[in-house]
Amino acid sequence: MRFSLLALFLVLLYAASAQTQVTISGTISEAESGETLIGATVRALESGEGALTNTYGFYSLTLPAGSGVPLEFSYVGFQPVQITLNLKNDTVIDIELASGLDLQEVVVQANSFREQLSDPQMSVESLSPRQAKLLPALLGEVDIIKTLQLKPGISSGSEGSSGLFVRGGGPDQNLILLDEAIVYNANHLFGFFSTFNSDAIKDVKVYKGGFPAQYGGRLSSVIDVKLREGNRKDFSGSGGIGLISSRLTLEGPLKKDKSSFMVSGRRTYVDLITSGINRANADNPDFDPIPDYYFYDLNAKVNVDLGENDRIFLSGYFGRDVFAFDNETFNFNFDWGNATGTARWNHTFNSKLFSNTTLTLSDYQYNISNQLTGFSFNLGSSITDASLKTDFYYAADNTHTLRFGISSIYHSFEVGRLKAGSTDGQVQFSAGQDFDGTELGIYFSDDIDFSDRFRVQTGFRLSGFTNDGDVSFGLEPRLAGRYTMNQRISLKASYARMFQYIHLVSNSNIALPTDIWYPSTANVKPQRSDQVAAGWAWQINPNLLFTNEFYYKWLENQIDFKDFAELFANDNLEEEFAFGNGNAYGMEVGLEKTEGRLTGWLGYTLAFIRRGNFRSLDGTLIDNGAFFPPRYDRRHDLSVVGIYQITKRISASAAFVFGSGDISWLPTGRFFLQDSPGRFPFPAVPDYPSRNNFRLPPYHRLDLSIVFRFDPSWGESDLTVSIYNIYNRRNPYFVYLEPTVEEVQPLTGEGPSFEVLTGISPKQVSLFPAIPSLTYNFKF
Amino acid sequence: MLRTFLFLPILLLLLVGCGSLEKEIDIELDTYESRLVVEAYLEPGKPYNLLLSRSTGFFSPIDLENPLESVVQQLESGAEVRIVHRGDTIDLQNQLRFDDESRQFANYVSSEFVPLHFEEPFQLLITTTNGESANASTILQTPFPIDSVVIQKQPEDTLYRVLTYYTDNPDRENFVRRILHVNNLDSIDQDFITDDRFVESPVIAFGTGYSYSSGDTLINTLYHIDQAYYDFLQSAFGALSANGNPFAQPGQIQSNISGSHQPIGIFTGLSYDRVYSVIP
Repeated sequence: MRFSLLALFLVLLYAASAQTQVTISGTISEAESGETLIGATVRALESGEGALTNTYGFYSLTLPAGSGVPLEFSYVGFQPVQITLNLKNDTVIDIELASGLDLQEVVVQANSFREQLSDPQMSVESLSPRQAKLLPALLGEVDIIKTLQLKPGISSGSEGSSGLFVRGGGPDQNLILLDEAIVYNANHLFGFFSTFNSDAIKDVKVYKGGFPAQYGGRLSSVIDVKLREGNRKDFSGSGGIGLISSRLTLEGPLKKDKSSFMVSGRRTYVDLITSGINRANADNPDFDPIPDYYFYDLNAKVNVDLGENDRIFLSGYFGRDVFAFDNETFNFNFDWGNATGTARWNHTFNSKLFSNTTLTLSDYQYNISNQLTGFSFNLGSSITDASLKTDFYYAADNTHTLRFGISSIYHSFEVGRLKAGSTDGQVQFSAGQDFDGTELGIYFSDDIDFSDRFRVQTGFRLSGFTNDGDVSFGLEPRLAGRYTMNQRISLKASYARMFQYIHLVSNSNIALPTDIWYPSTANVKPQRSDQVAAGWAWQINPNLLFTNEFYYKWLENQIDFKDFAELFANDNLEEEFAFGNGNAYGMEVGLEKTEGRLTGWLGYTLAFIRRGNFRSLDGTLIDNGAFFPPRYDRRHDLSVVGIYQITKRISASAAFVFGSGDISWLPTGRFFLQDSPGRFPFPAVPDYPSRNNFRLPPYHRLDLSIVFRFDPSWGESDLTVSIYNIYNRRNPYFVYLEPTVEEVQPLTGEGPSFEVLTGISPKQVSLFPAIPSLTYNFKF
Repeated sequence: MLRTFLFLPILLLLLVGCGSLEKEIDIELDTYESRLVVEAYLEPGKPYNLLLSRSTGFFSPIDLENPLESVVQQLESGAEVRIVHRGDTIDLQNQLRFDDESRQFANYVSSEFVPLHFEEPFQLLITTTNGESANASTILQTPFPIDSVVIQKQPEDTLYRVLTYYTDNPDRENFVRRILHVNNLDSIDQDFITDDRFVESPVIAFGTGYSYSSGDTLINTLYHIDQAYYDFLQSAFGALSANGNPFAQPGQIQSNISGSHQPIGIFTGLSYDRVYSVIP
């Protein structure tokens, strides 16, 4: 409360000092659809003063009063609009920009270079679905998360995975927001596809460091995904038909220029084929039925203008993966998925003060059920959130932009709920833990333009977490600065401390639906990171930007697991945890070309990660406290992406990736175990040394794509032909050591023969060979 | 343009590699220091015996002309092996023994029999010829009797399943291993290792699928094991399954053997109840 009063005082103070000037404010949006534009520019042409639209499309620019003041509104790839105003009073100007270029062909960067040079915010990557759609995709499924993996500092997990590993952070250290609601497991099909349907997405930003104060709760990154709002002008639709799924999006005005809706759905249909095969073989006793598998997503959004100063947004997401197998005596069902809901209210108090109040609901759960004759088995976990937050954006003047806000998230955890037994009740098993906790955050930040050259974004966040009487607090200072050397070169540096109060219980390198979330408790302390970063950006020419950043990150209270931890059904999961620390450091280089027939980018990352000193709650040191690289320690990571416009209707793109091999844990020794009677042949039991002792061979592949565009009378369409891994590189998914055996006679020379070990063969298993795909997309 | 569209998919399909997604590769692992491996099970009513061997590097060469000799060479000879119980010392002689019924080896044996002394300690002391030591202690758990074995026929079919019931002791944490053999002890049909942490009812059941035919003899063995053996089995089987399973997490062997050069293995009592059932 004391903080809120202070913030209000500051707001009033700035308001009082700005009376001799006039403020222009409003929104900037696309003329075609009415969709607001994030990061669009308004600039006074004579003085050079300018402002950008915020995440909600709102801008505020304060200028000296005067007559005949020329202003320019612009956004990359859109025709700029110039107007001249007589500035006497605060003025609201809503501007619509028309697409001036064929965006799908020549613009691949959401943020302008000017913005990137002038913004003190560093370590941020932006991506629009347009970019993702131009690039080759595995099985033709455009995936915005996989496209992010091509950016410097962001690595993928295992092959084909949509998991993200940012600057040495684990997969649980990414805050994934979909219209401000947390998405806890952004994966379908064990991570091969993400939950984000690119047709429904407006914009994605990934913060890798220098986190703005409004974000908290995860150590390594913030992935902020915004859904499209829907066309406010006309009814329209788009969709696509691919090899494994199809999708359809419908949108339009509820009331023209005042409200709109958007509904988007996607579903895979492999199960329709497999169930047909099963039916055709129903009478074949030798046929083993194929289990059904499918996933689907549904996004919906409505936004309504309630007046000049108020706008509400309602959006939701529901997605499920379903894996099922049924027969007369065995009934197995495994489903998992996310559901999110967002209700958002934007209110413009005046030309300087804007607020966004958001209520979100979020749920992730998995359920495994198995019915056998007379017996049943049910296992599941879930995390359910309800969150309320309010953010204020105050453009005090053109040298100060304040942000402040407060948030609260109520978490409810159901961890490892097991119920099993006989249907007659004679035999019963159960396990599981329930928790609830509340996460609080309050923040303040000020973006200060000290001079044309020096700009600082300073802020702090006070976070806290309560769970069953246990209370944790964390003060998270944030600082980012930019110094402009000249019009083409700027230097940047940042520091951010982050706390993470909930933790993912997963000891696999693959995103599994059974990965569950666990709160901080009296024993499980919040994770903490401190990251410093420094870098520079050089605009080599109007279309070419070079960036280079260095970072170092300290990691505390990291969580790992004891060997052979029992994570699924356990009434005391904390006994399986071990707590340690670590560090990550590295360098990232980016080179980006945004306009012309050839566009694209190059990203290179050199990274080092170590974690260790892990100790379980009973005091046992894991591996004697040794530091070891996590599986996602990737030393070198290179991405080269190019898009070439061959003709007006045909474009081609290529993406090449190279990465050091993942870390693996392989046995160095073996011994024979005869075990109990009947264990033949005696298994050669692997003897594992210290953790993560082996690096797999390097990973590389080249993907190609060609897009043919058509202009049918009813709208637009294109045919996209992609080849994933065109030179058919057999990249390592995992390596194992296969024993070979030979049948021999027993020592006594009597009795039946048996098998003994005769050799060991290291085997590499790959996942994806060269895979062509064909996708037909349409828009009307 | 149309011809281009027809040609492209055909070309692309031809590009798909048709080779296997698994291939043999060359890798180099860190050097490995051999460890003593102890496997000793105290089975009441049977002679004391023990298998003492050495672990080897994963890629240690194997004599392909005589692979059995390679196995024999891994046995540790000449060690002093003693088991101490109730103040008596049983010396185990370095002698190769093969049990025809269980088809198990031992290279340290005694003619003395393991007594029916439940819940009492046994100590193992080993010294090798090069001075390495390995020590352990264990007890014989009181066995859990199998309450009943229920055989059920699948409706409208000829196959059967079996349900094996026993009653847990709720006053203490218990670990059990249940092995199902079919017709003889030559092979294991089902092997469950579990504890009783999640048990709500005192009765626990192990079930099978409808896999057995009329005339099959089902041999149900229920071992009451200690936590050390439970941990050892979990880690040994976990290590086995982790090699080749990208979803599994490897780990180090959890052994109850201590000593001078990081020996591994298990010294444990095997108390069990065994029931033979013939499917009608």
